[in-house]
Amino acid sequence: MIEVNELVKRHGALEVLRGVTLAVKRNEVAAIIGPSGGGKSTFLRCLNGLEAFQGGSVSVDGYELNAFASPGDRARILCHVRERVGMVFQSFNLFPHRTVLENVIEGPVYVRGIARELAEIQAKQLLERVGLASRLHARPRQLSGGEQQRVAIARTLAMEPRAILFDEPTSALDPRMTAEVLAVLADLARDGLTMIVVTHAMQFARQVAHTIHVFGQGRVVESGPSCQIFEEPQHEATRSLLAEVQAA
Amino acid sequence: MEKPSGSSESEGSPWQHIIPNRRVSHAHPPPRRTSRLSSVLTLSLLLIAFAHPASADILTDVTSSGKLTYGSDKEGGGPYAFPDPKAPREVIGFEVELMNALAKALGVKAEFSQGPWDRLLKVLDTRTIDVVVNGYEWTEDRARDYLATRPYYIYQLQLMASKKSAIQSWADLRQPKPNGRRWRVGVLVSSAAFNFAQESGGTNVEVVPFDGSTDAMNAVGSGQIDATLQDLPAAIFYRDRFPNLKFAGKPEGHGYYVIFLRQEDKALCEALDLALEDLIQSGTLRSIYERYGVWNEAQNELTSWTKDQFVTTGEGSPRGWRLLWQYRPLLLDAALMTILLSTTSMPLAMTIGLFVALGRLYGPRPLRVVLSLYIEILRGTPLMLQLFVLFYLLKLPALVAGIGGLAINYSAYEAEIYRAGIQAIPAGQMEAALALGMSRRLALRRVIVPQAVRIVIPAVTNDFIALFKDTSVCSAITLVELTKQYSILGNSTGRWIDFAVATAFLYMLMSVPLSWLSRWSEARLDAVGVKGGVLS
Repeated sequence: MIEVNELVKRHGALEVLRGVTLAVKRNEVAAIIGPSGGGKSTFLRCLNGLEAFQGGSVSVDGYELNAFASPGDRARILCHVRERVGMVFQSFNLFPHRTVLENVIEGPVYVRGIARELAEIQAKQLLERVGLASRLHARPRQLSGGEQQRVAIARTLAMEPRAILFDEPTSALDPRMTAEVLAVLADLARDGLTMIVVTHAMQFARQVAHTIHVFGQGRVVESGPSCQIFEEPQHEATRSLLAEVQAA
Repeated sequence: MEKPSGSSESEGSPWQHIIPNRRVSHAHPPPRRTSRLSSVLTLSLLLIAFAHPASADILTDVTSSGKLTYGSDKEGGGPYAFPDPKAPREVIGFEVELMNALAKALGVKAEFSQGPWDRLLKVLDTRTIDVVVNGYEWTEDRARDYLATRPYYIYQLQLMASKKSAIQSWADLRQPKPNGRRWRVGVLVSSAAFNFAQESGGTNVEVVPFDGSTDAMNAVGSGQIDATLQDLPAAIFYRDRFPNLKFAGKPEGHGYYVIFLRQEDKALCEALDLALEDLIQSGTLRSIYERYGVWNEAQNELTSWTKDQFVTTGEGSPRGWRLLWQYRPLLLDAALMTILLSTTSMPLAMTIGLFVALGRLYGPRPLRVVLSLYIEILRGTPLMLQLFVLFYLLKLPALVAGIGGLAINYSAYEAEIYRAGIQAIPAGQMEAALALGMSRRLALRRVIVPQAVRIVIPAVTNDFIALFKDTSVCSAITLVELTKQYSILGNSTGRWIDFAVATAFLYMLMSVPLSWLSRWSEARLDAVGVKGGVLS
């Protein structure tokens, strides 16, 4: 469903992504791991157009983004891409001036044009699913980090995307809250949602992800089924990454 | 001027015993006697100096320092005192020459001191100047608080209208204007013409106050007002510069320009009176006036003038509550003007500012350049100058120019506040909105601007209070708002303190609710979790 071909991203002279190629199939859960500064987050942000890139292409259900599209084309394609691919951020990025319920219905009502009453019914179901049915009218700042991230997931789900990008969804959370959020992610995976998760939570990657992509210095150094990556890592970088995590 | 009941003759002026021969000279104008008179003058000066202790009178200071400082305003224009076209740093004018001649008679040098015309008497109170000479007419109210010399000029008022206008005389303005509105008549604020137009204008005349004579003539030329009533000297002096204007009818009114001094400076006043009399009798004054083209038959009265003609009767203006109650319609009208100006211009400024800020942040490059220029120009030039451009150059109606000028000027400040507010919103907010599929425009409208507005409310309220007080600048384009009304009333009644207190109180009354609004909005920010750009 998502195909990335020779993606190149530069910040001035610095080459952040140096030709990344990978594909994610429908219903697949892909985890992206790797050392900090390896380009994981940047890669994810290129997928839904939050970052522009200088070479290669990203294709979502046949809608192809590349570095040469005119601004008009790019905007039109992005529209399709973002409709299909949602995103959950490390820092949640909930709208602080709106309540939990308002955060969740914002997209359906103002982007998809769904009637407010209907959007609220859906939103309540989603919030129940992430365990926050009792906090509908709270403001984001009244919630814990874990709760905020679960609202953010519900907000993304409310758009009924075909895939969701998770950008280090638990990095800002303590272990207990991390567990809450990962439980929700596992639940979504069981339902067959296509997901790309940039994460440092190896345990989660091992148990939930079907495929692991190891990033290093702007490249994919190794890809494979999670059992293979964790049990028989081929690449030196993967081995040292896993050793670091185990030592920690 | 009504002839007084003659009481002053019997009471006598307090200094009559010093110079017993003065009255005689009034009754029988003596022949020219320059040399004799100057010796009499010197003798009198000596007498005066001895009669008054040095500490009590400014005359000794003047003679010992060798200079007589007189307050005047170049903005009032010719022919009184104005920058010399040949040497713009120098001041010339018939009053300048008069003062030079008077100072010479006193054996000192005259020194010009620039001050705002309608506040010259207040400047006199501060003792930075010795006398006020600038077409100040004698009025009972002024005479109650200040000493006046004998008149040095008999002024009349000349109506000027456009050559195309049907107005033929002051009497025409007593008839209703054909279109049903009132005649708009421009006058120098707080001048004799201002008082005359208010008292004898009737219900068909709207008095429009200007800060300079030529401003009013310009406004007649551009059709912003119907006519202007000018002191005759100014009308004569500027006649050639305004070829589109005509003298409508004969001069109206009649009064005296005098030199004003502080109440206690009697000796200086007497010395000036004597010197002035000498200039009148010797014909020196006439030759000065003729050089400026302001001599006319009416000036003959200067010779026959007697002190009896300046008599103050009655109590003068009441004080305190009674005074304020008497003038309350004027004060309230002015307060309403202040409210009208601020409450219409601020919402406009906020709206324009928002679009300027958005354009500057998210617009295409050429637009961004244009908008930053817009901001720099408006912030970099004085509000008063911008108002002048709208009023005198673009010839907008005063109220439109006032509201528009304030709105445009403040929009630049609001735009920068908004820009800061928008930039204070974390980038993640825009990204989250885009990731939800929102367009940039929708994201701004639903996510960024609502948060930015909450952040900037305290700063914007603060600006509202500032704008509210800046409305006083609009007086420069003839709008009478609270500060101008204070100045006008202070001038006409001499009760500056009473009106200052009342004006300050009215301003407070209007700005305190704004402060409450500011505090309330800050409290609200706390409630929704946005404060000072930090999201918690």
